Amino acid sequence: MSADESCGSEHCITCGDDGVPMTVLAVDLDRALALCAHADGRRETVETALVAPVAPGDVLLVHAGTALTRLLEPAT
Amino acid sequence: MKFVDEFRDAELGRAVAGEILSLVEPGRHYKLMEVCGGHTHAIYKYGIDDLLPANVELVHGPGCPVCVIPMGRVDDGIAVAHRDGVIFTCFGDMMRVPGSQGSLLDAKAAGADVRMVYSPLDALRIAKQNPDREVVFFAIGFETTAPSTALTLKRARLEGLRNFSVMCSHVTIVPPLRALLESPDLRLDGFIGPGHVSTVVGARPFEFIPVDYGRPVVISGFEPLDILQAIEMILRQLADGRCEVENQYKRVVPYEGNLRALEVMAEVFELRPHFEWRGLGFISHSGLKLSDAYADLDAEARFSVPGVRVADPKACQCGEVLKGVIKPWECKVFGTACTPERPIGTCMVSSEGACAAYYNFGRFARERQVV
Repeated sequence: MSADESCGSEHCITCGDDGVPMTVLAVDLDRALALCAHADGRRETVETALVAPVAPGDVLLVHAGTALTRLLEPAT
Repeated sequence: MKFVDEFRDAELGRAVAGEILSLVEPGRHYKLMEVCGGHTHAIYKYGIDDLLPANVELVHGPGCPVCVIPMGRVDDGIAVAHRDGVIFTCFGDMMRVPGSQGSLLDAKAAGADVRMVYSPLDALRIAKQNPDREVVFFAIGFETTAPSTALTLKRARLEGLRNFSVMCSHVTIVPPLRALLESPDLRLDGFIGPGHVSTVVGARPFEFIPVDYGRPVVISGFEPLDILQAIEMILRQLADGRCEVENQYKRVVPYEGNLRALEVMAEVFELRPHFEWRGLGFISHSGLKLSDAYADLDAEARFSVPGVRVADPKACQCGEVLKGVIKPWECKVFGTACTPERPIGTCMVSSEGACAAYYNFGRFARERQVV
């Protein structure tokens, strides 16, 4: 098994100090969970307790299934 | 994608590389450490090394959580995985880390029920689906990953799950940095600070580096322009005679970190008196274990793991690589006996390990070695 196969991407998204931006599609407020989409359209349930409240359209930085922060527009 | 594409602009990259060139003093050698494995991976993937002047050297630090796990810890995990009725879950890269008697993947081949998960929440789901089995999650990672484990433990407690436990091997970033700064065989001029760890802990914990050791720190994002700009900011500090913590990754990292994450970690974890790091040895207060309030969910107590210390293989020089003393290709077994397919050392396992990153992206351009 290669690192690619083990992690589903060339860059292991779960093991390192690595987060991926994901867009919120739907929110389950009661359970602090959200359905989020990767840039390539893949969907994943994400823990949002650390950044709640979130709303559809928010872009979150997700690491190991947990949103760590909300991304801000880069300064221009 | 927004937040990604604009940080991969080649023209801007060349402009920043030009700035970097204008900041370096000829005849001075600059040694900068990128702490985080994600940066190491990006540096090789995007060829950032090749955009830098020859006298700016990047040293790869101990920030790949898979790479710093000692062999004895892997053996402990395998021992638990072989217990009757156990489903042992871990992140993908962890499955391939060699212990003294093989890896978790070998244990799976030998009949142990070892499963890869993408998050601790997946492990919790497996526990709910298998109430008659004991489900153990092998938790590794720095402060980036620890909140995820902490929240999962809180959920397990809330839902009253009794067949779920965690083997906690989380580590913290500041103690190994202090150990490196105290190391006499490594002279560094500045640090590229870890981006996503800082999302949780903030920038403040790194202030000791400029204050106590007189070295600049710039917290950086992971896109090529992020890293180039962070290098430029460090070199500008050095050129100006300044020394402070700066945050290049402001779009993600608040200076104070994520207070909710810090609270949940403080509730669920406590510091171990000491923890063994591969290549760095035992470092005080550098590892986390479950707090007394969550001790009943601690797999180490539930299964009484062997806890035997195992020396690294003699041929492997991961320790020197992790300390930045040698480059990956200077290891005797790099690319020959040790490859990503059959790793001997941990640095060759994870895609974020310096050896694997260099093997995958950098080994064809080795003539540009810094002297």
